[in-house]
Amino acid sequence: MAGMGRYLVRRAITFIPTVFGVLFITFTIAFLMPANPARVWAGGQKASPEVVQRIRRMYHLDEPFWSQFYYFTKAILTNSIYSPVTHNLVSEEFMRRIPITLNLAIMAMFMIVVMGIPMGIIAALKKDTAIDNAVRVLALIGYSTPSFWIAFIFMWVFYNELGWMTLVGLPRPSQMITGIYLVDALLLGEWKTFIDINRRLLLPAFILAFISVGGLARYVRNTMLDVLSADFILFAQAKGLPPFRLWRHALKNSLIPVITVVFFMFGGLMSGAIITETVFGIPGLGVLYYSAIANLDIPVIVLSTLYAGLIIVVISLIVDILYALIDPRVRL
Amino acid sequence: MSNKEIILSIRDLYVNFYTYAGVVKAINGVNLDIYKGEVFGLVGETGCGKSVTSRAITRLIPPPGRIEKGEILYKRNSEYVDLLKLPEDEIRKIRGDEISYIFQDPTSSLDPLYTSGYQIAETMVVHDRAEWNEAWKKAVELLKETLIPDPESRVKNYPHEMSGGMRQRIVISIALSNDPKLLIADEPTTNVDVTVQAELMDLLRELQRKKGTTILLITHHMGLIAEMTDRVGVMYAGNLVEIAPVDEIFAEPLHPYTKGLLAAVPNPLQKIDKLVPIKGSVPNLIYPPSGCRFHPRCPFAMPICKEKRPPRIEIKPGHYVECWLYAEEVKKKGES
Repeated sequence: MAGMGRYLVRRAITFIPTVFGVLFITFTIAFLMPANPARVWAGGQKASPEVVQRIRRMYHLDEPFWSQFYYFTKAILTNSIYSPVTHNLVSEEFMRRIPITLNLAIMAMFMIVVMGIPMGIIAALKKDTAIDNAVRVLALIGYSTPSFWIAFIFMWVFYNELGWMTLVGLPRPSQMITGIYLVDALLLGEWKTFIDINRRLLLPAFILAFISVGGLARYVRNTMLDVLSADFILFAQAKGLPPFRLWRHALKNSLIPVITVVFFMFGGLMSGAIITETVFGIPGLGVLYYSAIANLDIPVIVLSTLYAGLIIVVISLIVDILYALIDPRVRL
Repeated sequence: MSNKEIILSIRDLYVNFYTYAGVVKAINGVNLDIYKGEVFGLVGETGCGKSVTSRAITRLIPPPGRIEKGEILYKRNSEYVDLLKLPEDEIRKIRGDEISYIFQDPTSSLDPLYTSGYQIAETMVVHDRAEWNEAWKKAVELLKETLIPDPESRVKNYPHEMSGGMRQRIVISIALSNDPKLLIADEPTTNVDVTVQAELMDLLRELQRKKGTTILLITHHMGLIAEMTDRVGVMYAGNLVEIAPVDEIFAEPLHPYTKGLLAAVPNPLQKIDKLVPIKGSVPNLIYPPSGCRFHPRCPFAMPICKEKRPPRIEIKPGHYVECWLYAEEVKKKGES
């Protein structure tokens, strides 16, 4: 672990160009879009030419690419990017929505891990049996079913028929401690809020989990089978290790590839779930992207992509550090 | 070998592998006695069932393999127990403690995520031979015994930080950690450098001499057989076709396969001008040849070889062969 400090410094140095690169590419794509954002922002077809002209000047849209990029980058660094559509400070918008998406992501990830990993292990142990096939089918259904369709079915069952769930508003605990509503409500002992948050978010979280859980289970299964057929497991058996010790060797060796998948799944969830959030009307990042795309809100689109890029960079950093902690062969 | 005490007796062992292509009849009625304190060599081509036989001894046959029938009698506390009938927890107590293994490839035998010391100590801890603290100290001692330089720091190394020869010494240390009664060395030197091979074999022989461990040595290296073993068994396509003291195997091999094998590889005891390959190829054991499994390749094949499996015949005391050629001889002798 001696190399950890040096590794973090090196990683931080490559961090800046990576993020800048993401910014540059997204901005370029937005710039090249064959659309007239100023006109959309001014109100569409009916907008008067003078207003459109004023907006163009205000947002430097009449200037060349490099100049536009300069103003945009400067505005990011000074935290002064406002959405031309909602007129909100975009960073504030993000800060308001991230806890909601984070909440949803944590709930979904929890379900994915709690269901997916045991399912994968059981499928590996019961290879080529009905259980294994059930997991295979579940993975296939999860991958191939449109999430909005499952969402409607679930809403119908749990809201219309059973009335267990709510579909409007999002209760918040009285104070913020971690920023994750569910955890804060629990820490503050506000049980009613805790239950209400669950009634609101459990269903969308479950749908997000449903999409990925079979995939993770299959991945865990295949990894486990690889490890279980390794020579060192047979040798460990030849050493006379009892089952729980064999499992320790097998699980630890399976952990590395599984960690990668789990963390990148979490990264995906953290970037926001456009369809699920929209269908359930949850004011998270997904809804923000959706409306930004619909309204040609270019600053929000570029910053959202930048945010997603940041998440991936941070996640891969965490995964690398975890690798080094688990696997002695990995040197940072 | 005056006091012949049988430590392990394999009787009529059958092992099949249930693959998609069909049932592979890998071990087809193997009978073998191993005496206490001897080094028994098992030779044969790749895929002839040497490794499977050795692993079946402690039931280390993962699916799709299955031990179909047979007995493996092992002398435990002056009483023979059938290892194939022991409950799983009892056989586990024998593995790595009374009967231990050295596998062919040291690189894949060791768990990459644990230090060598941990993996050695673990073997002692699970058999209640020592607590962790003491086991670590013993691990250092074992590394000293297996001639690893700087053992105090080597116990803290991970497998990837060592050379192939060093890793195999770690595997040997693991195998020896509980002073096994029977050590099964499955091609222990095949995957290490030639220079290291000799060192490792010297090491095993030295340890065997010191502790009197019984060794089952599996190899296709005739030189090792000549150098290390007291008796030899020759396997072909899942059958043990000949068993003899090591000198007799080289001096007067009886089974046509043994003869062919000796003519095909350099003979350590005498000079051969030209190596002669055995004609034909190893049979597919999903559809093994009828009768004697060697008959399609045998230069002396007779009609009966195709029809009936040859019996085991004791030609001289301790020299057994499964071949119709000698059955005829026996018959003729009986008639005259």
